[in-house]
Formats: sequence, C-alpha cells, structure tokens
Amino acid sequence: MNQSHGVVLLVEDNALNRDMLVRRLTRAGVEIICAEDGDMALQKMREHKPALVLMDMNLPIKDGWTAVREARADADICNIPIIALTAHAMDQDRNTALDAGCDDYATKPIDFPALLSSIQRLIS
Amino acid sequence: MAKKRDENASWALHILQAVAPLRAVAARSSVAISPPSDQDIIALLEAADRIELLKESNSSDDQHDLMNIFGAVRGYAEMLYEDRAQLHPAIVETLPNLLQALSSPDVALSKTATHAKTIIKPLATPKTNEPGVILAVDDMAENRELVSRLLSKYNHTVITAESGEEALELLGTLGVDVVLLDLMMPGIGGAEVLHRMKADEALRATPVVMISGRQDMDQIIACIQAGADDYLLKPFNPILLQARIAAGIERKRWHDREAQYRLQLERSEKFIRATFGRYLSDDIVNEILASPEGLELGGDLREVTIMMSDIRGFTTLSEHLPPQQVVRLLNRYLGRMTDIIIEHNGTIDEFLGDAVLAVFGAPRKTDDDADRAVRCAIAMQAAMTEINIANETDGLPCLKMALALNTGSVVAGNIGSERRAKYGFVGHAMNVTSRIEDAAGPDEILISDSTLKKLPNTYTVGERRTLSVKGIKEMVVVHQILGVSE
Repeated sequence: MNQSHGVVLLVEDNALNRDMLVRRLTRAGVEIICAEDGDMALQKMREHKPALVLMDMNLPIKDGWTAVREARADADICNIPIIALTAHAMDQDRNTALDAGCDDYATKPIDFPALLSSIQRLIS
Repeated sequence: MAKKRDENASWALHILQAVAPLRAVAARSSVAISPPSDQDIIALLEAADRIELLKESNSSDDQHDLMNIFGAVRGYAEMLYEDRAQLHPAIVETLPNLLQALSSPDVALSKTATHAKTIIKPLATPKTNEPGVILAVDDMAENRELVSRLLSKYNHTVITAESGEEALELLGTLGVDVVLLDLMMPGIGGAEVLHRMKADEALRATPVVMISGRQDMDQIIACIQAGADDYLLKPFNPILLQARIAAGIERKRWHDREAQYRLQLERSEKFIRATFGRYLSDDIVNEILASPEGLELGGDLREVTIMMSDIRGFTTLSEHLPPQQVVRLLNRYLGRMTDIIIEHNGTIDEFLGDAVLAVFGAPRKTDDDADRAVRCAIAMQAAMTEINIANETDGLPCLKMALALNTGSVVAGNIGSERRAKYGFVGHAMNVTSRIEDAAGPDEILISDSTLKKLPNTYTVGERRTLSVKGIKEMVVVHQILGVSE
C-alpha cells in the first residue's frame, strides 16, 4: 500500500487563512501538506495520495469544483475523501459540493471542532 | 454589493476595535507570552493589519479575501482561547470580546442601536488574598529562599532576582504583580531599580515593597517619596509580609481593571464616532456622546427639512463606462457632497447609488434647519462646477444634479429590528420629497411651499410650479431657488 497514513492535503489560496489552518490542524495532531490552486491540488493528490483533502472551492487557475470532478474521474485518486470548504451557506451549494463528488462540506468561517470530527470520521 | 461592502466594512471595523486591546496588551513589556501563543498573536495581528488595508476596498476579490481573513483571525483567537490557561490574564481578558466580534456581522450592526453602557462592563471588585506573581529581589541567597518559602505557602508564584540588573531584565519580560525590593545591593541598588521602574510607562503601576535594615530608615523614606508603596524591616514578620503582598496585589488588580475599563470606554466612544461620524457632523456626534441617553434616540415625530439629490441620467451614463470609472466618478461626487452636507450640519441618511438622502433638523433641531438646508443645496450646486472641471481633466463625463427640498413631519429614530437598526426617517413627507425630486431638472433646486415659508427673505426665488402627488388630493406647490439675493 503506497498510500501514506494520516496526511491531509489542505487546498486554500488565501495565505493568512492557510497558515492559520495549518497551525491549528498541526496542533490537533494532523499531519498536513498544502496546495494553493486546483492544478496544484490534483498534482499533490497524485504524488502524495493523502488520506483526506480539505478543498476551498473558490480557487485560482482551476476552481475547486473542477478539481473535485477531475479527481473523481482519475482512478488513481478517486477514492480520496474530500471535504469542501466554501464561503456560502446555501443549501444548493451543499448539494453542488456533494454532487461534484465531495464527501462532506464545511462553511467558512470554519467551525473547527466540527471540522476535526469530520476529518476523523473520514480518515478512520 | 455596495450594501454588502458597507456591512463588511462595519464588521471589519468592529473586529479591529476588538483586536485593539489585545494588541495593546501584547505590546506591554510586562506581559510575557510563551510559544506557541506568541506566534499565534503575531499572526493574528498581521491578519488584522490586512483587514485594515482591505476594509474599504471595492474589489470583490478583496471582499472575498476579507471573509477569509476574518476566518483566519477567528481561528487564531480560538486557538488562543483554547490555550488560555497558559496565557497572561491580561491577554485572556481581551479574548471573549474579540470572539464575539468575530462570530457574526450582526453583532456589530446591532451594537449601533445599543447604548454605550451596555458595551461597557461595570468595574468588578477585585478579590482579596488572591495569589499573584511576586518578584523578590535580594543579593543574599538565603533571603531569597526564605521569601520564596513564606510566600509559596499562600500560593503566590515567586520569581527571584539576585541583582538590580537581573530584576530590571525580568520586569521587562514577565507580568509581575508585586516587587519585593532589597534596598542594599551591589551594582544597581534598590533605590535605582525603583527609580527606573517609575520612569517606565509599563512598569510604573507595579507596586513595590522595599526591604531594608532598621539603620537605613532615611533611604526608605526617600524611596517612599520616590513612589515605593510600602516597606518592611529585616528580619521581617511572615504575617506582615503576606499582608503587604496582599495589599500590593489588590492595588495592582485595581489598577489593571481601571486600565481595562478606560480602554473599553475609549473603544466604545471610538466605535460611536466611527459609526456615526460618517453620517453626522462632529458636534452632533459630540452631543450624542455627551447625552446620558447616548444612542437611545427613540422614535419621535418631528419637523425636518428633507433633501434628496440625484444625478440626472446617471444609470445610462454608468452603463457606458468601465466600473472603475463609475466608482471614481461617484466617489469624487459623493465625497464632496458629504463634506458640504456635514458642514451645514445635515444628517446623511443614505446613499442610493448616485442619490443622496439627507435631513436637517434631526437628531438635533434648530431654528434655521430649512435655511441651512437651502444654503447647503446652493453650495452643492455650486460645487458641481469644480467637480465637472476635475471630471473633464480626467476624461470623465460632466454630471448634472437635481436637488429637491421639502419640510414636513417625519418619524425619526432607530428603525429596524433588534439585530439590525439604523437611525432613519419615515413619513409621507419623505415620499413628497421624492416626487419633487423627480420633477426637478438638471442643475435645478426645487423646494416645496412648506420649506419656502420657513426661509428668511434672502433668497432669489424663481418659477412656481404645481405637482400632483400620488396619495394626496391637493397639488404640491414648488419653487425654483435661483440663489442668494443678499
């Protein structure tokens, strides 16, 4: 099995928010790697086979929705669970996220304890 | 979009105000912050700086960024709160307010409708016999040990320094409640340490208890005159030592609370100024701050002169211009109009795109409300000339403004819900004004008969027209204002 255990890929373009989440997740015991856009996200998913992806949907170069669809179409990485992070609290966004192939969904600003339990549930 | 932007700007302001006490406390040299919280605070303050930069931006990318940065600040604040047991109490005290400010924009908005006193927590009574952090400075090891042992019994945290130099170094990094200071030491003596503490803004309030032998009474008196709070003679009585320390801690706690209270007062005043300052002139804001009711400007029926202005053909104009130019055009125009209205003590109620709604006579009523409103209208029309010269230089189109004034009764007050309220106006007179504004031509000032009746005879009045207004049977009589006749 070449899939490494416990590594989580965080895809977020906003540096301040990314640093904060890295620090917070690291302190919660989560090993974390980062990507800043949709293309880099797919590349890192293929390279590192993370146990889980936290994906901001509003990304430069390739947006989150497209990246998720492409990941789902790639047999190599289609099984990696993805949690969508979006700024919208609308029900239809939730459905779009789930339709695109995300496994779960978190609205910004992030409710951290809820996100952690979601991560634990999907990794185990 | 503009409304959303204003809402974000107001939220940003509220967050920045809640960050300010944390920034102030973190900058205090007596407050030590251990890792990893030190990095969290640095990152939080950096994010706050970024908010400061972006908060007024019109770009939707920046607005999106702003939301992300709010999230980052919130994350750091939550992390700090999780680690509160390891943090200096002065830092911890700033967190609940910050977390609340970050939780939702509605909190920021509803506070505009709340009286300042609800924002300010009453001064809490400090507990006595509370354990504290004591710095014991003595060059003799056995004395330091004795003090440590005696004070640890009362659960105080005792830090020791063996010289004046070391004491000053420690004071620069630790949050100390009381200093026990030996008078006679080699190098920097007790009197000099005291002198330097009193000269340092951050250390001045930390109580100092001098320790010395009986033979040094003259110097002890000099120290007390220099600002020492108390003294103990060697060999000292343990009970007396604890009593002096407890009194010192209590003094320190009062001081900290007073400083915190002053900061809160300042903050809420700043908040009122920032919220209302955009719409009201300084002296009206001062009046609101001075009145005991503060912001409880309840609804009341009052006679006011209402002003509505509009750029003729602006919608069509804006369709043919790039968005950046539309914003530039609007900002130049609205900026100048805001200044003029505030100079004339008018209350700006709302901007609706290029339209301005202002009221004269609320929240403060004066005898010359109508007169001021008309003078303001003339000044606004006159300012259009220079605005258009500037527009022409920049290759922007020429703007023509129509202005309408009407005097009548409206209900003025904080209108809205608990969650969201703003000082505003309702009444039929508002609708009539809007109708007059529709009838006003480019570069024209039209005033109603009721406004004319309130004016002194110093204006040149032009053509008289009658308009029919939906909802009232009689025609509304309006007059053109051509200028001041002197």
